[in-house]
Amino acid sequence: MTSAADTRTRALTAPAVTCVTDDDRARIREELVSALAPIVERLPRGEQMVVTLPLLRRAQSDPGSLVVPEEPFAWKPAFVRRSLGLAVVDACATGRFRAPSEAIGPVVAAAVAEWERSGWRTFHWEPWFAGLPGGARAVVEANAVTWATALWSSFDWQSFDRVPRIGGADDQWACPAGRTLRLKGRTELRVPVAAEGEPPDSPASAPEAIVSVSGGGPGAGWADELAYLALVSALRSPSRPVPARVMGLWPDAGTHRTVEIDRQTLGDAAKRVEASVAGLVDSRRSSTPAS
Amino acid sequence: MLVVDRDRPVGDPDGESGLPCATRSVSAEDGPAAAAPVLRDGSGTATSRDTRPWEPLAGAALLERLRVTGRPRPTADPELANRLQWGIEQGLAADGGRLDRPGGGPVPRLVVTKDRLTGALACEAHHVSTEFGDRAPTAAMACGALVDALFRQFVTVGSLGDPFTDGLAALAVDDHQRCLVSWIETMPVAERQALRAEVERQAAGLARRWPRLEPTWLPRTQVAMRARLAGGAVELSARADLAVGRPTEHEASVAIVEVKSGVRRSAHRSDVHFYALVETLRHRVPPFVVATYYTRTGELDVDPVSEELLVAAARRTGAGVGALWDLAHGSEPRRMPGGLCGTCVALPECGPSGPFVRPPAGGRERGADR
Repeated sequence: MTSAADTRTRALTAPAVTCVTDDDRARIREELVSALAPIVERLPRGEQMVVTLPLLRRAQSDPGSLVVPEEPFAWKPAFVRRSLGLAVVDACATGRFRAPSEAIGPVVAAAVAEWERSGWRTFHWEPWFAGLPGGARAVVEANAVTWATALWSSFDWQSFDRVPRIGGADDQWACPAGRTLRLKGRTELRVPVAAEGEPPDSPASAPEAIVSVSGGGPGAGWADELAYLALVSALRSPSRPVPARVMGLWPDAGTHRTVEIDRQTLGDAAKRVEASVAGLVDSRRSSTPAS
Repeated sequence: MLVVDRDRPVGDPDGESGLPCATRSVSAEDGPAAAAPVLRDGSGTATSRDTRPWEPLAGAALLERLRVTGRPRPTADPELANRLQWGIEQGLAADGGRLDRPGGGPVPRLVVTKDRLTGALACEAHHVSTEFGDRAPTAAMACGALVDALFRQFVTVGSLGDPFTDGLAALAVDDHQRCLVSWIETMPVAERQALRAEVERQAAGLARRWPRLEPTWLPRTQVAMRARLAGGAVELSARADLAVGRPTEHEASVAIVEVKSGVRRSAHRSDVHFYALVETLRHRVPPFVVATYYTRTGELDVDPVSEELLVAAARRTGAGVGALWDLAHGSEPRRMPGGLCGTCVALPECGPSGPFVRPPAGGRERGADR
């Protein structure tokens, strides 16, 4: 029986239909730096700015929320579910467990045991989790299982030629402007796909399709937002192929969207970054008392 | 020959659910209300009552009741999902063109939950007066939150420690429950002990009866479900306590379970029907079953999902969305006499004996069809 996961997996792994040349990439980078430099110059002295996908979304949908001071960081289950959920999906994708609810206990126990043994915090939350009473631990685990199940059931994992890269470090690009501005992109999966006009598994140019999971449903600017992840990936390393496509999953809404990455979509994402950074700088300036 | 009287409305002594009997099975698992079905002989004469004590389903039998509904599982029908959506949206587009905003500016999104829907349909004035602000905690509310957390723990971890301690610890890491946790911690000792005893009793029943769910069925708890309508102007939002089954494209394969720690009420069925609707709209495939599990008694209400159920849920939702939309855009809330009036503390001047019990003279009471 065909599942929605089969269809989605085929769409994700289909050969690339677009291509961004190195010249295109360099031009987009130059244009972005030229546009951002005068904007970030207006930042109050000493301030830094980190642009992420959630911030990009808020800048469009709820700009007023950008000036609200952030609460001091404290661990809570919602902050653990992605990293633990990805570890759970990885454990399932590599065949160690059949499903997230089977993997959760051993995965979390292994993480805490490793921290207790070596002091090394793979996920950072291990000491916090280890100090929780049983009922609170169950909430953390339940949140992670629900998150992981949404991702796990979104794809037919046996159809992937090899296990996708699950999680990993965020892509980051520091804008070479007068003030510090960094773009960060966080993706859940990276899957190699055949390049346009190339046979599958051609090692010379193996672009990736990337997957991003979000809460809620897609907003009006979903295409630019997904392309933003490809933009950061493209800016981060000129030697790596530009992602061929980005698929966004919105499990709450039961939907996904895909954007094929070409010069136009990257350029649109860059424009969105410019507009958002300008809005953020204005917010920062208005909320900073005049000296 | 003795046969079960299938015409008798079971488990719904108030007759409020309005569900056709065809969607319901008469069996012991319906609960104490159905514990002694009327038996008739072949001529239809009532002869005796089954006096066996009612026992809630447990383990494999409970699971079987959820999985085997006695009806074929619905197949995917994108047209049905489109029709359901269209029906709700038509209600907004008609009736004065609610979506046409003066000035043509962006319309703020109306988020519709089961509670808001039920509140607005029961009495708009009561709904408006009680919607905002923190609700004062009650022992029932505390018991519900604690048992919900324990159910989640049991499904995920497979065991419970000290139920009251576990439940409180679970609520303590939830920002939304901060107020409730501090209220529980400052309860008078006797009331707190009563709450603890009830939570322990329900937890023991849960641990004794709730079946182990095979991991490959993908059990997940607190599943957020959203469906946007009318170009995003309206969002139906639900959070199911438990969903089981991998969504497929062609056949309904998901079961949705809501857990309740209180007494059985007909409104609970409307709630899970709303969940069935939201799930259908978001995945374009319905769940095959929606159920409510009562941890207080072990009762299980199971509704196989059918086109009729979804159409009725869409009709109810459409009416509620229209009411909520009007309220959000400045309409005067209507006072609708009903079961709430007797216990309504929000509007003491407006009781069942007040002027709003009677429809206004010379015209249809506004909202009478809602």
